[in-house]
Amino acid sequence: MARGAVAPGAEGSAGLKWTATIGLLVIVAVPCLFIVIQAIFPDFGSGSLAAPFSMFFKTLADPDLFGLAGNTLLLGVGTVLCAAVLAVPIAALRALFRIPFALIWDALLLIPFMIPPYIAALGWIMTLQPRGYLEQITGFNMASLLFSVTGIMLIMGLNTFSVVYFVLSRTFETIGARYSDVGRVFGAGQWRSFWRITLPLAMPGLAASLLLVFAMSIEEYGTPAALGRRIGFEVLVTGIENRISEWPIDLPGSATLSLVLVSMALIAFMLQRWLLTRRDYRIVGGKPQAHDKRNLGVWTVPATLLFALVAFLATGLPILAILATALSRTISGGLALSNLGLDNFRQLLGTGSDGLAALGNSLMLGTTTALLASLLGAITAYSVVKGRGRFRIVLDALSITPNSLPGVVVAVGIILAWNQPWLPVTPYNTPFILLLAYICILLPQPVRYATASLHQLGDNLEAAGRVSGAGPLKAFVRIVLPLILPSMVTAMILVFAVASRELVASLLVAPVGFTTIAVFIWQQFDQGSAGLGMAMAFCAVLITTLIPLLLISLLRWFSRGSVAGLN
Amino acid sequence: MITKPPAASGNPALSLHSISMSLGGNRVLDRINVDLAEGEVLGLLGPSGCGKTTLLRLISGLLLPDEGEIRIAGSTVAAPQTGIALPPERRGLGMVFQDYALWPHMSVAKNVAFPLEMQGVRAGTCKDRVVRALDRVGLGAMAERRPSDLSGGQQQRVAIARAIVAEPPLVLFDEPLSNLDRELRETMVDEIADLVAELRLSAVYVTHDHGEALTLANHVAVMREGGIEQLASPDELVNHPKTAAVADFLRLGCLLQATRGADGWTINGTDLSFPAETIAGSQAQVLLPEKALRLDASGPMTLRTQVVRSQARSTGHALILRLAGTDHVIRLLSPRRARTGDGVDLSFAPEDLRWFPVGEPVH
Repeated sequence: MARGAVAPGAEGSAGLKWTATIGLLVIVAVPCLFIVIQAIFPDFGSGSLAAPFSMFFKTLADPDLFGLAGNTLLLGVGTVLCAAVLAVPIAALRALFRIPFALIWDALLLIPFMIPPYIAALGWIMTLQPRGYLEQITGFNMASLLFSVTGIMLIMGLNTFSVVYFVLSRTFETIGARYSDVGRVFGAGQWRSFWRITLPLAMPGLAASLLLVFAMSIEEYGTPAALGRRIGFEVLVTGIENRISEWPIDLPGSATLSLVLVSMALIAFMLQRWLLTRRDYRIVGGKPQAHDKRNLGVWTVPATLLFALVAFLATGLPILAILATALSRTISGGLALSNLGLDNFRQLLGTGSDGLAALGNSLMLGTTTALLASLLGAITAYSVVKGRGRFRIVLDALSITPNSLPGVVVAVGIILAWNQPWLPVTPYNTPFILLLAYICILLPQPVRYATASLHQLGDNLEAAGRVSGAGPLKAFVRIVLPLILPSMVTAMILVFAVASRELVASLLVAPVGFTTIAVFIWQQFDQGSAGLGMAMAFCAVLITTLIPLLLISLLRWFSRGSVAGLN
Repeated sequence: MITKPPAASGNPALSLHSISMSLGGNRVLDRINVDLAEGEVLGLLGPSGCGKTTLLRLISGLLLPDEGEIRIAGSTVAAPQTGIALPPERRGLGMVFQDYALWPHMSVAKNVAFPLEMQGVRAGTCKDRVVRALDRVGLGAMAERRPSDLSGGQQQRVAIARAIVAEPPLVLFDEPLSNLDRELRETMVDEIADLVAELRLSAVYVTHDHGEALTLANHVAVMREGGIEQLASPDELVNHPKTAAVADFLRLGCLLQATRGADGWTINGTDLSFPAETIAGSQAQVLLPEKALRLDASGPMTLRTQVVRSQARSTGHALILRLAGTDHVIRLLSPRRARTGDGVDLSFAPEDLRWFPVGEPVH
């Protein structure tokens, strides 16, 4: 019944509704609210509402702001261009032609998803900097490219283009099978049918994935901080981080900059959402059908080499650089067999070491975040799906807000909200504050998974429970929750992988003396112990991707098809 | 509120009083009144969009009415005027859904045990009753299987076991057989009829298939555009349809147009004439019931038809005949084959015709 959500009838549980509302208010609305208040009332921290908007307009009129916002836009657009140039040709090749070892390239191009961008950026620094690995092998370095705006764009493009590649190759393939072949029946050649049918139909999907790349790049902290600072290239994210972590601390400034950054992310997000939900020009989805792909002929070898090169740049090079650094006894020793050793790993994982503590902290926080965010996400999605009227709109809006909240902004909001001197009790300066930050940043993932899964459930499954005598809460716990559990497990694994190595919010709100994986890597690199940092990076990539992948395949093996939707 | 157990109460199993409901500005139900005695089955029959499923969801509590009162076994479960709106779980019903709605994460036995578990029935008793319910639908051996391992018909039997296990005062069937293929549907109709009779179930059975409704129900409500067109026993419906719409929906026969002339009624395009006092008005519709027609020219009245098509069937030949001089089509089963274009004479008795006035709807 399409209007079931509008008609009065068997309501969802009021308890769950309030849990979702209060949870979202505390985790999402409070930080946002405090950013706005702080931006308007500069002396709010000392309990005064004096001089409203004085700093707001001052910051908005600050030439610094134009510089930062301009740089952010420049970086976003540049990264989008790099990602498009990298992704579109190989996606088209992959979809339309027989490429040797295609599945291997696909698997390799998945790896950039698993490497946090800041770790990849550090790998690139180790390779391209003066006396880096490239210079040691070939005799020249590319430091001038690395430490340039173009270099930052290229590296971020390499980190993000696989999003576009996977969306696009799949779309091309589906369209190719469904519509483009029809065009060929009516007399269009393969190229003409690609330009006239496939590409126009794929445009909304391409645009949406490029907008996602744009949002990812303007929210990124690690790469611009590691590379841009050396050449004085500051963007909004680094500008905000500066104002809140370095003396003199400028709370109103960071709040105002946060608002500007959020507006940019929000526009990108809304545009993306609009593109993906437009009715008249539906994104082509579904599984690509088997259809005959053409042989490349003499172009087979060049195309294979192109795939190999892109996969090497996106995946092989950063990982090799990380591994080389981690396995070097000393950085100055360079790439030499005599310099190889496990010293860094021994130091990192030795009993009672800081590294071990950081690993433990991150795994603990990652697990807790995964559990809590997924539970809150499931309850929220359920309440939105079952909800009616204004209530539903508010809840829905609150649950998707974090989509446009960069980590740095969440951190600023949390500092402003929970570090107020008049608060009698506060999670600030305890590990719980990290938990609040991670849940806020990652909440959209479980909400998205739960919503998709709930829409797949037949309405009658829950109705049957209600008619059989289960109250709203019992029907949720006994029927709805077990049925969406498989997708929630997938969401949990994703949340775990991201939360356990989150960088910028951890740097800003971690309590004194409390280190996480990302903070540890960052500090080691800053202090010149790149080897130790890279050893940790390697362990982090291994633990946060291998453990989840293992879990997923174990789950699949155990359920063996008896649980729907685990893929 | 009743205090006596429903089995001995003598209250109607279900009583709907002036139920109205609007969805998105459309009036989907308009002042529905129905009373159903204990141990009887009410069939809700009608084309899609007539409001029958909405009415069932109102009875189950999955929807709430705008106006009116719903009483189940004597207790009021919904009455917007007095603010009564019991949620589904407090109405003590059993329900069989069109898509079965078995919970895929529970075994067959767990699915069936669920309503008892919700009532807090002790584990031992619960197990016995689940076994009994599953045996009753012939699935005792499947208790530990997953619903997804069963065929469509078996799944629907599990759903029926789940609906009857707690011995509810009223069982709701929401087009339970429409997802099954024809052969299975016919067997299941018999099975449900047996079950209903054995357990003396009070039930509401929603369907768009008149065969199912006429077989299973003691009373059938033919619904159209949010109202009840006719509420009667299956025999009464077939023999005395109240309106042309009912006759048409039940496919009782051929509907012809008639005009009143100076010397009585004539069926348009034919020379069949009837006395002027048959019915009032100047235009009328006439039902020529299929079961009143004989394949011969013995009278008392005869019709001239021409064969349009003859289709071989397992039970004979389905003839599609065109009434000479009109576009009206008559379907009839014949033991013999006929050739396209052949002339065929049909006989009937004038008192078997049903006349409906045109213009003003009958209520």
